[in-house]
Amino acid sequence: MILLDTREFDHPVPLEMAVDAFKKLTGDEVIHMIHRREPIPLFEIIVKNGGRYLSVMETETLWHIYITRSSTLELEHTHV
Amino acid sequence: MYNGLSLDQAPPISVVLRFFLTVPVFGLLLALIVFFNPHAVLTPTHPLSLAAIHLMFLGVISMSMFGALFQMQSVLGGRPIPSVLGNAVVIHLFLVIGVLSLSGAFVFGIPELFVIASIFLGGSILYSANLILPLLFGGTSHDTLRGMRLALIALSLTAVLGIVMASEYANLSFSAFHDAIRSAHYSLGLIGWIAVLIVAVAFQVIEMFYVSTPYSSWCKRNAFRVIAVSLFLKIIWLFTALPYVWVFDLVIGALLIGFVVTTAKRLKMRKRRVSDVSIWFWSLGIMLLSLAVAAHILFLGAAYPQSQSISLIAFALFALAVILGMMGKIVPFLVWFHLNSSGIMDAPIMSNIIPQSRAKGVFTLFLLTSLSALGGVFLIELFVLSGLTAMGMFALLLINLVKALQLYRYTLTHGKRFEPLS
Repeated sequence: MILLDTREFDHPVPLEMAVDAFKKLTGDEVIHMIHRREPIPLFEIIVKNGGRYLSVMETETLWHIYITRSSTLELEHTHV
Repeated sequence: MYNGLSLDQAPPISVVLRFFLTVPVFGLLLALIVFFNPHAVLTPTHPLSLAAIHLMFLGVISMSMFGALFQMQSVLGGRPIPSVLGNAVVIHLFLVIGVLSLSGAFVFGIPELFVIASIFLGGSILYSANLILPLLFGGTSHDTLRGMRLALIALSLTAVLGIVMASEYANLSFSAFHDAIRSAHYSLGLIGWIAVLIVAVAFQVIEMFYVSTPYSSWCKRNAFRVIAVSLFLKIIWLFTALPYVWVFDLVIGALLIGFVVTTAKRLKMRKRRVSDVSIWFWSLGIMLLSLAVAAHILFLGAAYPQSQSISLIAFALFALAVILGMMGKIVPFLVWFHLNSSGIMDAPIMSNIIPQSRAKGVFTLFLLTSLSALGGVFLIELFVLSGLTAMGMFALLLINLVKALQLYRYTLTHGKRFEPLS
């Protein structure tokens, strides 16, 4: 699991960091991004490039985003 | 997996960039008028002054805001604009023809051009409102969307009053309500459309872009209500010639000063104190808004003629500051986003799409333009200088936008494609 805590970075740096990490993913690796809002444009980039994501809201200003390039990995199991 | 919003919401990059690319062209035209006719531009109600005002508020400011609206509606509203590319092409074309014919009507005094301007400007604005407004009701709702609704309603009313005035100019016959119509047209356009949309955008972006504390919910909930009620009552007062109409200006002025103070606080309280040209633009913008409000109140109290010009110029510069600051953030983001979502592996990082040196160049020229335009109210040579610096600023802005677009097109064709895992 690659942890990416982007809560204190100005927009759009978190998106750049997440896309950069996504491009380097291999096999069943998963990025766990922690962000202060739901990064909607990121999802479009991930899905259009064959990736998958799970977006979980803990509070309105705390989101957990799980990203993988694996087509079989169950992302729901990665969220604890 | 996804919370109610559909993917594929962002409009094609050409939708937004066609509006943005037109902005510096109208800006250059405006700067030429200022440079060659400074006395006329500073004379209220002079045809060249009216041409300059409409080039600024329609050709530069509203043109940018339409581009931003196309992006914001799709992303924030959660309900994309139907046939977005076709609608953007038509609305943009009508706006361009409308702004050119209205400015031409004032500059050359050709009555038929007022009719053409009414058709194209009225058509584009009312069509846009009819297209976008229904999408802002009934779906998701938040403070920025509420501001966008009020802004579009105010813009539509501004256009209707503009059409009435254009017909008066075309026929050279002015009704008894001409002054009331003109004041209502200005109030709805400057406050209801421009200030409201900027405040609505600030509620969204100051917190998001600069990791700062959100505006208070009371402020977000009530700001647009106060402005809407004040504008509504002001228009009734204007058309019924009731006394104390200035009270509504004071209420709106107080609210705008409140916005300046809370925004300044949020910019100061941001968590990461990274130097960013867009923050310089916001900071300068809110200073200019304070000056605009102060000069307007001085004009209400003392009818000091120069304070009216200062107020209008400072207000236009405030809106332009925010627009330039936001363009410097939005354009690199759009280029980066559309390249990445097209599967380009080696898309340039955002800070390389419009390099800091060129972004700072636009800011420096904007600062010089602001100082010389405001000083030009007292010393005409400075106003001429503002025309020159504005030319440099808009030319550099055009270069930045064209180079960003060229980089996008080149990378889209030659960039390395993303390979999905097998």
